[in-house]
Amino acid sequence: MNIRLLIVCALLGSASLFVRAEDETTWTHRAAQSAVMLTANPLGSVSRTAFYGARGFPEATIRPYAQACGFSFGMHNGSADKLTTRLADWQAISADGKRVALRLPEAWDVEWAKSGVSEAARIAFRWAQFQSEITFEPGDWIMGMATLEVPLSGTFRLVARYRDDKGNHEIVLDKLSCAKG
Amino acid sequence: MKSFSTSFPVPKAERRRFLYASAGLGLLALAPILRAQGRGMTSLPAPMPAPALRLLDSDGKPVDLAGYRGKVVLVNFWATWCPPCRKEFPSLARLRKRFKSAEFEVLAVNVGEDPDMVFSFTGITEFPVLFDRDSKAMATWPVKGLPTTFVVDRQGRLALKAVGGREFDDPEIVAIIKQLLNS
Repeated sequence: MNIRLLIVCALLGSASLFVRAEDETTWTHRAAQSAVMLTANPLGSVSRTAFYGARGFPEATIRPYAQACGFSFGMHNGSADKLTTRLADWQAISADGKRVALRLPEAWDVEWAKSGVSEAARIAFRWAQFQSEITFEPGDWIMGMATLEVPLSGTFRLVARYRDDKGNHEIVLDKLSCAKG
Repeated sequence: MKSFSTSFPVPKAERRRFLYASAGLGLLALAPILRAQGRGMTSLPAPMPAPALRLLDSDGKPVDLAGYRGKVVLVNFWATWCPPCRKEFPSLARLRKRFKSAEFEVLAVNVGEDPDMVFSFTGITEFPVLFDRDSKAMATWPVKGLPTTFVVDRQGRLALKAVGGREFDDPEIVAIIKQLLNS
């Protein structure tokens, strides 16, 4: 891909950050269970290629990740209870019932190690992902990226599971779809 | 901490690197900043000794958390590509100014980046910025995502924790730090 095009796309994205940070635009998808909120935005391949390219990933190496069906997620614990969520317990479910797991960041990291990606780039990757297991104290929130194991066509729902002292819970994000391009 | 020169313009290569770096932020920005920053900090029920933290600052000088014993220290793990980290960063300086340097300090621990890139974002800071280039120091702390912030009490114990962005000069946080200083 033309490097200038990548830079332009990425700069536009940066500009978008500052604009959105000012006006606090809402996410494209959001759902809540009690006071726990999950938000998501689909991520395209151009922006991810630019992001990781700027952190030292060769374009060919990051391509499988950039082209995977990916999202940026944000999760906020507005409840009074501590909660824990594991990415391995999340599932995307298509309209015809096909279930797809999310690929854990550790699985991607195995690829980066095999490909000889620099340690600095791997650190940036690791911390930019939605972590595979997170405990949220009341008031905590985290954002990060994640990908499906395989893409789903059309729209699908994402079931995110978490547990607290009261038991297991689900948050369902409806009408998600993989970004095009 | 040595002051950096403020005689801009920044060299071309550095500017380009910063543009690339900040450009990447657009990706996370495609998912806009959460409307709700987190609030407050969580008191850790059984304060344990803070893990060791010995890193170089922007000037290449070693900084050791143990040297701050007797002060309350806020330790913030962050990176320039992390939108909530960037958003909360100015509030660290505002918080730092609320207290005397003899009793309170902020240590901002940058993870995985180089000082030139970081300086392009921070400029001169009111507090030390430390560099954990290989994230080995952070790995010894109970961090599960960026940003994560701890407050270490006068006895060198982890007293408070916050995962996700905060406005650190929020009255709730200022009050709880005052409590620690007075305890």
